[in-house]
Amino acid sequence: MKDQIKLKYLNDHASLMNIECDRDGIIKEMNAYARKIAGDMTGKPFGNIVLDFTNTFNFEEVVKNGEQSRLLNVATQNNTPQTFYFRFFSTEDTIMALGELNHAELSDLETKLVRLNNELNNTSRQLQKTNSELKRLNELKNKFLGIAAHDLRNPIGLVISYADFLLEEAYDKLTDDERLMLERIQSSAEFMINLINDLLDVSRIESGKLELNLQAVDLVDLIKNNVELNQVLAEKKSITISFEHLEKIPPVKVDARKIEQVLNNLISNAVKFSHPGSSVKLDIFRDSKHVNVSVTDYGQGIPKEERPKLFKTFSRTSVQATGGERSTGLGLVIARNIIMGHGGDIWVESEVGKGSTFYFSIPLKK
Amino acid sequence: MIEEKTYRKYLEALIKGDKATCSVIIKEKLDANINIKELYTGLFQRSLYKIGELWESNRISVATEHLATSITESLMHMTYPIIFESEHIGKKAVISCVASEFHQIGGKMVADIFELHGWDGYFIGANTPEYELYRMIHDKKPDVLALSLSLYFNLPKLLHLLEQINEWFPGLDIIVGGQAFRWGGREEVEKYEKVNYLSSLDELEEFIANNTKP
Ligand code: B12
Repeated sequence: MKDQIKLKYLNDHASLMNIECDRDGIIKEMNAYARKIAGDMTGKPFGNIVLDFTNTFNFEEVVKNGEQSRLLNVATQNNTPQTFYFRFFSTEDTIMALGELNHAELSDLETKLVRLNNELNNTSRQLQKTNSELKRLNELKNKFLGIAAHDLRNPIGLVISYADFLLEEAYDKLTDDERLMLERIQSSAEFMINLINDLLDVSRIESGKLELNLQAVDLVDLIKNNVELNQVLAEKKSITISFEHLEKIPPVKVDARKIEQVLNNLISNAVKFSHPGSSVKLDIFRDSKHVNVSVTDYGQGIPKEERPKLFKTFSRTSVQATGGERSTGLGLVIARNIIMGHGGDIWVESEVGKGSTFYFSIPLKK
Repeated sequence: MIEEKTYRKYLEALIKGDKATCSVIIKEKLDANINIKELYTGLFQRSLYKIGELWESNRISVATEHLATSITESLMHMTYPIIFESEHIGKKAVISCVASEFHQIGGKMVADIFELHGWDGYFIGANTPEYELYRMIHDKKPDVLALSLSLYFNLPKLLHLLEQINEWFPGLDIIVGGQAFRWGGREEVEKYEKVNYLSSLDELEEFIANNTKP
């Protein structure tokens, strides 16, 4: 009597799964704890409560082989597998499976979790710290760049104007060699000014100081003007720049000076990388949301793997200017930032040996 | 200042595992520009010590304790935008726990206080193998090494570590702290000429002030 009370108590209240099956492994009875863990599975095969990751569990075989115990992952009601240590007892018509939580595994897991949690927290702290460091460094870099560029601009400006002056006023007194040297001084100094202006632009953009003066602008006019400006350069290489457009384009809200900078960059690049005697074509067209502008050259094209580098700071591609022209490598970075600042996009399509087309888009509304 | 009322409310939420309420309290305090050291000791440390007591006397389960610790550690992340943004002065500290210590919150507070005062506070987490620490010291060349010890029975490990560091990085200033020293150990560590025991974040701030001057 006393034993029966004890047994009944254990069966109903202890944290021990008690599952009785027939010889075919079909569940006949489950105690309260087993139901709590696995749900009511009476009438179903014992195998159904086992999460068998390796697909090797076969209840009948286990019984046939006379196995007495086994660690099994139980599919719990809330879908988190839990490892139970099962002991099997068989009689003629029943197999009884008693399962208890695997405490060794739990405490092991606990330790692992504590350590993982520690690591996670520390990594997160390190990440935040590095992030702040990078932010500080970038600010410093931009400040430095700004100051350096600013202070360089004046002396170089002086070099250019003196070279200009000498070339004009003393032209007759100079030998051919001396003239050539002066022209080199002049063109190098101009390149330096361009570089400085680009650097200033980049540092301004990176420190979030890109200011846009938005006004309704007729892009067609803007493009025409820019084509005109670049014509002189192009003629030197016998390149023709053409701009034909078929569609009527409504005015868009842009910063005209900034968009001119982008156009100028794209057109002069196209000329730079075109073979003498070839042509550069511009087009403008609209879709439902954007106005798109394209600049096409029939130059060398850009290898596929180098295209992602185009719009990144200080990265150059292997493509060479055809007339030995120099470039700062920053033009496309600036162009990209300006276009992004307008809510648009800039991209390139290219085929090696055939040429490239650069596109940018400006949203119609805004 | 942390009012008693706030502490009670926080502790209650912490024990319940109610992270949302806890973080509202911390956010309010941070918005009111609370002194970070005060937040760390007056709220985080005080509540964790209480949790330790309740756990020791079996009034809360180990699970509750784990959850409370986890919540506290994640709440500490809320201070990062403040501590990491301070003007940096080029001084460096490496902060570490002793191998086989899982207690890392105190050490991390120490690292954060360094950051707050414009030092770089590189924290190597609990249970980091010793060679990681040596590598960090070698790479970062810190002005000071801080070691945190929570378990008194890990004192021999700390002494062993000090022995090694003394040999490989002679001249490196070392500070040690942590609650293990409530049970003793101060004389043993201070036998090393370059080692100083500091009992609190207040003493740490004093140390930082004295060592910040060029
Ligand atoms: C959280 C906790 C844990 C967590 C830690 C998780 C984590 N991410 O850190 C876990 C669950 C891992 C844990 C495990 C154990 N713990 Co525990 N744990 C605690 C508890 C509750 C809080 C610790 C804490 O973060 N306190 C808050 C921080 C801010 O306080 P602090 O560490 O003292 O740091 C301050 C100062 O000491 C000082 N400081 C610290 N380091 C340094 C360094 C320097 C250089 C300076 C200047 C200052 C300084 O500045 C800090 C801010 O003021 C404490 C209870 C308590 N009283 O602290 C027990 C406690 C530390 N644990 C204890 C024990 C016994 C253990 C276990 C052995 C239990 C077990 N049987 O498993 C294990 C050991 C695991 C291991 N190998 O490390 C005992 C230690 C007793 C002793 N005599 O050493 C304590 C005291 C609980 C108790 N009363 O029994 N624990």
